[in-house]
Amino acid sequence: MTSRSPVSAPPVVGRQGNYAGAVTRLVAFAADVGASWGIFTLSVAAVTFAIQLVTGRTVDLTHGRVTSLLTLFALVVWEFVYFAYQWSLSGRTVGMALLGIRVVGVEGGAITGRQAVVRTVTLPFSFLFFGLGFLGILLNRDRHAWHDRFARTVVVYSWDARAARLRWLAKQEPATPS
Amino acid sequence: MEQLVEAIAERVVGLVVEAIDINAVVSKVDMDALLAKVDVDAIVSKVDVDALIDRVDVEKIVERVDVDRIVGRVDVEQIIERVDVQGIIDRVDVEKVIQQVDIDSLVEQTELGTIIARSTSGVASEALDLVRAQGVGLDDFVARWVNRILRRNPDDLPVGPAGLVTALETIDPPTLPTGRTP
Repeated sequence: MTSRSPVSAPPVVGRQGNYAGAVTRLVAFAADVGASWGIFTLSVAAVTFAIQLVTGRTVDLTHGRVTSLLTLFALVVWEFVYFAYQWSLSGRTVGMALLGIRVVGVEGGAITGRQAVVRTVTLPFSFLFFGLGFLGILLNRDRHAWHDRFARTVVVYSWDARAARLRWLAKQEPATPS
Repeated sequence: MEQLVEAIAERVVGLVVEAIDINAVVSKVDMDALLAKVDVDAIVSKVDVDALIDRVDVEKIVERVDVDRIVGRVDVEQIIERVDVQGIIDRVDVEKVIQQVDIDSLVEQTELGTIIARSTSGVASEALDLVRAQGVGLDDFVARWVNRILRRNPDDLPVGPAGLVTALETIDPPTLPTGRTP
């Protein structure tokens, strides 16, 4: 039986352009959900405060049938804008940028605005049947989720591991010449 | 008796030779006609050139050559002008040259590392590198298990879109204190 040293690691490969893995994509998506919900919550709080200032009445936008529906509608629009705008602009959202991944076309080119919109609109379909649409990221050869199939997109690493390694090396003490 | 005759003959020949003006005789000889009759090729063929060369002390000849003087007479500028530098550059495989450069060693042992560190490295970028490296490591772990379960050979799978995938170079991982690689 071979023992693996805790300090050894598999060789790092220049990953730019490779299909991004499930964990990275999941963490990026979680970061985006957190960011978009955080911004939305702050916005709702700001609107509530503004209404309270103007009318002098306490308003709760999450209570009441109409206001709840309006808030929900605003949330849906906001999420659409959050994802579609960022994908069409640079192929990545804030969360994806943090994790070093981006959306590209199946051939590797930049995605179009139409692809960004289709990807955003079909994203909820991947959540159906307990997230069955995301299973493709794990099982498919090209790591397609359902919304990737619809929009003809893939997610790849845009993070330059080699540059990171050079940064790490640069932080070390320079070797004394022998 | 015989010795006496020889002595007389030698004496006579000596007197005759002294009396003859050799230069006058030679001046009357038609050297061109004489040389025309000589078979130079036959003579040369009889010469053992190898033996001749063996007897030549080349080292001694070279020692007597004033190389500096010869080089001093060479017009280097003119030679360089005649060199097709572009042609030489075109024949150089730059990719191969770059591959032979040990960038890691270069960064480690020169000020280049410090420059890179100052210009690009910060706490935020270090944290990002770490998070991303962790993510890639977990991605690989998951992918390895999925491939094992599905009995897929990872080498048969496409690594990325054709337009983006470039030649992958495996580089040695640095050993971080946490045991992770960036």
